[in-house]
Amino acid sequence: MSLTSKEAAESLAQAEQAHRRSAELYHYSRAAPHLIMWGAIWVAGYGGTYLVPNYWQWLWGALIVCGCIGGYFVGQVRPDCKNGAWAWRMTGVMAVAVAFVACTYAIMWPVHGAQYAAYPALLTGAIYAAVGLWVGLRYLVTGALVMALTLAGFFTLHDNTILLWMAFVGGGSMILAGVWFRTV
Amino acid sequence: MEQPDAIIHQPVRLKIMAALKPLPTNDPVEFVRLKALVNATEGNLGAHITTLEEAGYVSVDKDFVAKRPRTRIGLTKQGRRAFQDYLDYLRGIIETAAG
Repeated sequence: MSLTSKEAAESLAQAEQAHRRSAELYHYSRAAPHLIMWGAIWVAGYGGTYLVPNYWQWLWGALIVCGCIGGYFVGQVRPDCKNGAWAWRMTGVMAVAVAFVACTYAIMWPVHGAQYAAYPALLTGAIYAAVGLWVGLRYLVTGALVMALTLAGFFTLHDNTILLWMAFVGGGSMILAGVWFRTV
Repeated sequence: MEQPDAIIHQPVRLKIMAALKPLPTNDPVEFVRLKALVNATEGNLGAHITTLEEAGYVSVDKDFVAKRPRTRIGLTKQGRRAFQDYLDYLRGIIETAAG
């Protein structure tokens, strides 16, 4: 049995398509637990800030530390990540993002609470959308959705209600995206 | 390689091998997930996996998770090498034809 170049090209295209799809879905499945965990952190953080606004720094500080530590352990669950490289990287990404947000607040001085609430969510959405340009459509859709929902809440809601919006709509959409990422 | 590997050169088995290739050796894919990935029926996929397993190209691990049976499939070293040889063979044909 010998193949013509046309048959060889068709077989190669089939193989590349299956390879690409599998690699993309594998990437999604690795990211899914992180999305679900950070979605839950958003629910707790924004919801808690709405309920006890005077303690928001302590609440978010504790949640971010939990998120970074949790990200390491969630990353370790994968058998291919037992060496910890992926897990440490995920924790590092979160630490860089948190540091970036803190630095931005330090130099930009937001003037009202809604800006504090919306900015990290916008940044998260932008990161996901940017990653989506390389990895796959689901990241792009998730990022765009988080950004759009954040802006919708920022421009239409008043007082502290944006915190509830970010908790249930922002955090909820992250959790749903995580569930979506787990599907084939 | 004078001829394509007959075990891999079958559309469903080619898709199985290609879908398994990007996965780490120690993180096999579940049967139900692979079924959706290659868009095959359960019986069809099972038969092709048996062929690949008999050739030593894939490993099949069966266990129980929360009392439910789970089957996971991964590419063996031999399978990874055979698939790479197969891809090289295809590329060689295309390059030769292109001159």
